[in-house]
Amino acid sequence: MSITVLGVNHRTAPLEVRERFAHERRDVPASLERVLAAGARGGVLLSTCNRTEFYLAEADVAVPEAVWAILSERLGGGRSASEYGYTRRDRDAVRHLYRVSAGLDAMILGESQIQGQVRDAWETSKAQAGPKAQAGPVLHRLFQSALLVGARVRSETGLATGAASAPSAAVAVAARIFTRLAGRSALILGAGDMAELAATCLASEGVRVTLVANRTYERARAIAEQMGARALTLDEAWEHFADADIVLSSTAAPHAVVTWDHVASAIARRGGRPLCILDLGMPRDVEPAVAQLENVFLYDIDDLQAVAAQAAVERRRDIPAAERIVSEEVERFWAWYGGLVVVPVLKEFRERLDQVRATELERALRRLAHLSPEDRGEIEHFSQTLLNKFLHQPTLALKEAAQAGRGYGLLEALKRLFGLERRDDP
Amino acid sequence: MVLVPHVLALGLYALAAALALTPFAGLRPAPRVLALGVPLLGIGAHVIGVARLTSFLGVAPTLSMLALFLMALQAASDGLFRASAVAVFTGPLATGLLGLALLIGLAPEGPPAAARGAWSILHITVSVLGLAMLALAFIAAALYLLQFRELKAKRFGAVFRLFPPLERLDQLNHLSLVLGFPTVTLGVLLGFGVRYAGGASVDAAQVVWGMLTWVVLGWAVGVRVVRHWAGRRAAFASIASFTAVLLVYVALKLAAPGTQRFL
Repeated sequence: MSITVLGVNHRTAPLEVRERFAHERRDVPASLERVLAAGARGGVLLSTCNRTEFYLAEADVAVPEAVWAILSERLGGGRSASEYGYTRRDRDAVRHLYRVSAGLDAMILGESQIQGQVRDAWETSKAQAGPKAQAGPVLHRLFQSALLVGARVRSETGLATGAASAPSAAVAVAARIFTRLAGRSALILGAGDMAELAATCLASEGVRVTLVANRTYERARAIAEQMGARALTLDEAWEHFADADIVLSSTAAPHAVVTWDHVASAIARRGGRPLCILDLGMPRDVEPAVAQLENVFLYDIDDLQAVAAQAAVERRRDIPAAERIVSEEVERFWAWYGGLVVVPVLKEFRERLDQVRATELERALRRLAHLSPEDRGEIEHFSQTLLNKFLHQPTLALKEAAQAGRGYGLLEALKRLFGLERRDDP
Repeated sequence: MVLVPHVLALGLYALAAALALTPFAGLRPAPRVLALGVPLLGIGAHVIGVARLTSFLGVAPTLSMLALFLMALQAASDGLFRASAVAVFTGPLATGLLGLALLIGLAPEGPPAAARGAWSILHITVSVLGLAMLALAFIAAALYLLQFRELKAKRFGAVFRLFPPLERLDQLNHLSLVLGFPTVTLGVLLGFGVRYAGGASVDAAQVVWGMLTWVVLGWAVGVRVVRHWAGRRAAFASIASFTAVLLVYVALKLAAPGTQRFL
């Protein structure tokens, strides 16, 4: 029995390669079927924008080839996906998944989205791949424990604290101004990708994007429809500064479009309520002087990146603690795993040696036909006792090693030394 | 048995203050159960200590009671407003006040509390509670101004990360002021009652200056409630009014020193 992970991630493949490997949810069963047909006993496919990984139980030689073939087909151009990939086996494979789930292997250290993706991957594989792809108790335990490791790392360390990306920094900054973000209104200026991303982050905290303004009304309307907001032209937007709590700006204008005059006239009508302006434009959309207005809090992309960088530094301090948790949990899993495989092999080992004992005893007793039934019984008892004595120490050592998480290596040695082939897998 | 619970409370308050300050020293914040539990244990011990006081007269018992109310308000701010940063001020302040009370001595300096009547005890308790609320308003205003400054200056350090949002601090300041002022007023009225019942003597200077600070406090509440001041202006008003209370108290104490009477 073995656990293997094969895949690519943001460290081994550039974005244009990774996006070819990425599987839609509906594509997962077909790919898993092919891997199972190649000989794997169970599989889970984890596919996100940063990684595509197959977690496999019992992957013999043909299985990795099948995985790389699937990915190479997606890559096209006769290129081999294995150039971008990696393979981890057994304990390393377990550690890899635990690190992924904990956010230690993420592009943004400690990001928590991956945990949901790991859960979805397991659920999808379990539900969609059919009975043949039943991943079995090993993968079940592996994925359940990976989710627990992720939760443990996030609760016991500071790996997930702070905002480690500019859009999440935008949320963090707004959350230092307003008691609750839920129910706040946001005005979006421009139609840049960054503004859209930050707006999505704010919306996930309950902020209502009520207005989207753009130089081109049609573009504003397209985004406004997506967000359930009202579209405006830029010139219509200024008066709404009096009502909005958060203004998110990311226009493509080559100069500042939000001037001191635009904001100052609105501030007078706000009754002292704070206004958070997040300028994500490059070059900046908002005149820096706007920040001097009372109760206006203006942050540009550099400020948000400074927040993110600081959070990243703090998260990095917690890497050793997170790695310790991962190591602890790998050992715990491996102890369970070792115990799981040791019982059937020990049973087979005893049966095999008992068979040898019985055969040799029968042969000897045939040569000693003159012995009385009592003597024959004594010899049989002797052979049984001798076998038990021989087996006692190896059995004990193997069980102890399994409990300590070192059973797997000894077991492999035992199987090779005694030619044990039959495996009663769980 | 007045001293033991007071000393225990002092130790727990000091620990609570240390726990509140650790994140600012770059250390991991204490678990919430500890950050809330330690001050609550201290409050429990302190309540036992205060309940055993035979006299509420004098500077020491008043300081002890003020420390108790400050810690109770700190726990309430943390529990209701998630404003754990309040403890950065209240923790050391309450520890210092209680330490000072123990240094001065909590031994009875006047007639037993029971002999002075329930109105007297009520007057002292309500007045000190009102004072603690105004101190909390002052602290919330100070935290507001610090967070405001950091946000305006785009400094994303410990204050940015550990202080509550501006709006929450403004709400805490508003609530403390709006509750604190009527409480102090009630305490003053009870004081007049006690005086006319012959339970206490009050100098004319105390009456005049007390009324003046009451007017200043009333102004701070008025601009918030009637003129709807909020944010920085309201924080400055709150700080100014509490500073006036402190200055008047110090002036009156300098004029009539001694630890037999709080005022």
